[in-house]
Amino acid sequence: MTFGQTEPNAIDAYAKGDDGSFVPDILVVDDSKVMRDMITACLRPDSSLSVTQAASGLEAIERLSLKSFDVLVLDLNMPDIGGLEVVEFVRGQDKLKTLPILIVTTRADDGSREKVLAAGASKYLTKPFTPESILTEVKALL
Amino acid sequence: MNVDLEEFRTAFVAEADEHLAAAQSLLLAMDRTLKERSGDGVQRELRELLRLLHTVKGLSAMVGVEPIVSLSHEMESVLRTAERGGGIVDEPTIEALLEGTRAIQSRVRAVAENRPVPAPAADLLAALRRLEPPAPASLGEIKITDEVAAKLGASEREQLRSGARAGRRALRVDFMPSASQAAAGVSITTIRERISTLGEIVKVVPLSPAGGLVFALVVLTNATNEQITEATGIEAVTELMAPSAPVPATFEPEVEKEEEATTEGARGVLRVDVGRVDAAIELLGTLVVTRSRMALAVDRLEKAGADTRELRAIMTDHARQLREVRSAILRVRMVPMTAVVERLPLVVRGLARTNRKKVRVLVDVASAELDKTVAERLFPALVHLVRNCIDHGVELPADRVKAGKSEEAVLRLEGTTRDRMVELRISDDGRGVDRAAVAARAGKPVPATDAELLDLLCRPGLSTRAEADTTSGRGLGMDIVRKVVQRLGGELTLETTAGQGTTFRVRVPLTVAIVDAFTVRSGGERFAVPVPIVEEIVELASERVVNGPSARLLARRGETVPLFNLAQALSLPNRSEPPQALVVRGSGGELVAYAVDRVLGQQEIVVRPLTDTLVASGAISGSTDLGDGRVTVVLDLLALRAA
Repeated sequence: MTFGQTEPNAIDAYAKGDDGSFVPDILVVDDSKVMRDMITACLRPDSSLSVTQAASGLEAIERLSLKSFDVLVLDLNMPDIGGLEVVEFVRGQDKLKTLPILIVTTRADDGSREKVLAAGASKYLTKPFTPESILTEVKALL
Repeated sequence: MNVDLEEFRTAFVAEADEHLAAAQSLLLAMDRTLKERSGDGVQRELRELLRLLHTVKGLSAMVGVEPIVSLSHEMESVLRTAERGGGIVDEPTIEALLEGTRAIQSRVRAVAENRPVPAPAADLLAALRRLEPPAPASLGEIKITDEVAAKLGASEREQLRSGARAGRRALRVDFMPSASQAAAGVSITTIRERISTLGEIVKVVPLSPAGGLVFALVVLTNATNEQITEATGIEAVTELMAPSAPVPATFEPEVEKEEEATTEGARGVLRVDVGRVDAAIELLGTLVVTRSRMALAVDRLEKAGADTRELRAIMTDHARQLREVRSAILRVRMVPMTAVVERLPLVVRGLARTNRKKVRVLVDVASAELDKTVAERLFPALVHLVRNCIDHGVELPADRVKAGKSEEAVLRLEGTTRDRMVELRISDDGRGVDRAAVAARAGKPVPATDAELLDLLCRPGLSTRAEADTTSGRGLGMDIVRKVVQRLGGELTLETTAGQGTTFRVRVPLTVAIVDAFTVRSGGERFAVPVPIVEEIVELASERVVNGPSARLLARRGETVPLFNLAQALSLPNRSEPPQALVVRGSGGELVAYAVDRVLGQQEIVVRPLTDTLVASGAISGSTDLGDGRVTVVLDLLALRAA
């Protein structure tokens, strides 16, 4: 298994829209189901985006190893492996060095914003955010 | 763009409730670990707690509930400090955090009920800020040469050390994900779940040898390498550090529990509105009606001389399939018994504190499931029984010592299942029920048996205390507790010995069917008729009833409806001239009226099947208890007409 390479039986990484246009695939990672659904609801109105969900940082890394995504929307606080570690790991992979990563998290008090940006996250969005702001951020990262 | 995050309020309430309940169980588990001083660490619980509160904080911020954001933020800070210190907490910290979860819970309720959410109490916030975390543990050396060692934080290292002190082995289990495994349903998520039935996962480290992916799971366990390989299919299991005590030679994983966890993990959990499940059950009911019509049609064919053997065989299969579908739907409503009992230790804790009593709770509940409806109706009754034990049964610490007992009382919560019934036992080792005092308050002779004593205790309005006290004086009385249990088709019993303690035993069915029903009187008997099949209740004024060629007819909105005397249809001897009738619409749309002496009222009833609910022939679909301890027959008027 190598990162960034699409397995023969995996879903085509670059799904095409009805008119053959490029449909970017967004991977939304949060351990809270309600939070994942909220973010998905914020992105869904834009039919040019496809959204996949992962319930943990581990699942996100596993999914990234099986298929390419165009933007990673990532929560910081998750069991076993937090968002910061996911960013560090992703940036350590040659094929994922340029994957845009949008961190979505609640105000934290331990300088996590600086740490995660230093580790290579592209952008940092603080909860609560508006549906418009997250859609704008994701589209800007494409 | 039109996305309203307000829509997520209901989902927010459900998820927040779940997280808070989980947080409280974790806090209670941490409290137990500390009290037992077994040397086990609480690092895993602490990290999990941190994550739960952080999630609650984020969700509350999204739906705009600022008081919950600030509460969870303060609690999170306390936990973060503790985590940095190696994951050590003390009892005052746990106490304050429990208080915090309760404060959040009450605010989540406010959100659920659309009430304004009160700001957090200033003294609670101050108390949380004041907490001094215990001195960080001396993080001695742990000898791990493995590459994963570098990825472990202070709290994880401490967790490994205390695990090793408790005699467990620290292992590294390597899982390599692939598309073929993913297709077969094997993923890091399912592997995590399988391993967590065998031990405690300290950390999962993703590694990337040569551009590939390996998840290294750091695990504390008593299981052997072979058991891990058997459960996961993974052979790459290596020892990270040797335990400081000998490993127990025989470790048998709980096979049943393990399987459950695996399937649950593989398929995920779905949250469904109970109403949808009920709707499915109702639809199934119409299928049952169709089935009885089919049976009648087959009878007629046979009478006409047709060969119906094959049809009969199909009908038998069909009946079995219907039963299976029904039990499959009912299973959706089942919740684990532990989920019900798990909430009680928290109640005990609060009560013991207000009463200045010392109580240790021991929970031992089988892995059975029971209907959510039963669980929800039973819970308040269980809370009351627990209150009773602590308030009346358990003595003050000083009195216990005088009586030659340990200061700390033991309250046992046990649950078992047998014959489709669940039995829950709540027992204390307190002073026992004072028979003479109960008799005196009830103005009756001293009861000879425990059953008679329970009857006295269940007299409405009886209290052995001169005044209502802070705990038992509130909420339900014992009479209501017994009614709740009886209405569920169960029984409540009592065993008590002076000076030694009291046991309440509650037996209820695992599942119940609940319907809204009219209660009617006919032929001197009382019956219940489910509301959905009743079209109308009419007064039988003489000018509306006419004698037809074969039956009496009721004139109703320009059409005539066949009218039968219910008592007569049921072959009851006592028949008067009934003044009212229930108009019933069959599945084919045709109307029939049944005359009754009186419609007594309408209420929700719990139907207890008499035999097999699906293929029971005749007009009786079951029995119920309307709350007076007497059996009332539930009628199936559609079947009565067909019969």
